[in-house]
Amino acid sequence: MSSLHADSLTAYLVVATVLFASGLLAIATRRTAIGVLIGIELLLNSAALQFAAYGRFRAGAVDVQGQSSSLFVVVVAAAEAAVVLALFFAVYRTSRDVDLEQTRELRS
Amino acid sequence: MIEHGLFWGCCLLAALSGVGAATVRNLFHAALLLGLCLLGVAGLYLFLQAWYLACIQVVVYLGGILVLVLFATLFSSDILGQRQVPSRAQQVGGVLAAGLGTAAGLHLLVVTLDHGLRLEQQRGPVHLADTGVGTAGGIGDLLVGSWFAPFLVAGVLLTVALVGAVATVKRYRRPAGGSP
Repeated sequence: MSSLHADSLTAYLVVATVLFASGLLAIATRRTAIGVLIGIELLLNSAALQFAAYGRFRAGAVDVQGQSSSLFVVVVAAAEAAVVLALFFAVYRTSRDVDLEQTRELRS
Repeated sequence: MIEHGLFWGCCLLAALSGVGAATVRNLFHAALLLGLCLLGVAGLYLFLQAWYLACIQVVVYLGGILVLVLFATLFSSDILGQRQVPSRAQQVGGVLAAGLGTAAGLHLLVVTLDHGLRLEQQRGPVHLADTGVGTAGGIGDLLVGSWFAPFLVAGVLLTVALVGAVATVKRYRRPAGGSP
């Protein structure tokens, strides 16, 4: 690919695509909640990287909106991690397991 | 030349450890690989001249979220040594999902090559550092300027999420002295 040189938009997008596919793979195949959480973090990182890359390579416009969007993705990721881990502890306390196939209820 | 080496190193680190985090059997190793992946993405942010974002990536993701994930992994210690074996249906579904994601990403690449790179070749990438917009000051100006409403919403979201998380954990705490 002629355009795949260092510090090009294509290179960033290839990395983001790999991260996105890995995240989907983790969400679909992991049995535990932590594995799925890791997959979601990979997806969010891919999205944030794409925001920043498109913001940098947006020709002729000096603005920082791509980076700000990435910042909001990080905020959403932090909030999501806190809520998911709280749910994880709630599930773990009731069923002593975090296997998503076995978990059916939050309340004991 | 050394910059190119660092760039491809960050790319490889992010991509390979991302794949590893999704596929490796041991969940503890997966969490550690996620940390490596986040570090690689932080390096890529530096190449994107997003200095502030790179700092935030290290502080919030590596310092906060990854520590939470590792703590949760170690908390449920019985899964530490346990190998996660996905069922056949999960394997097929995962490969299908990853294939769909890759196809969508490749389509995005083609569209970008058609439109974005043509513009990039005409004008070249914008050097954000020249105007100082990649720094904390530049982003701060935007956040209290035209992005003020989303900034407030993000603050409310964080507050609600953290209060909700604490409330969720408290609700399921066993009473002191009660039967387990």
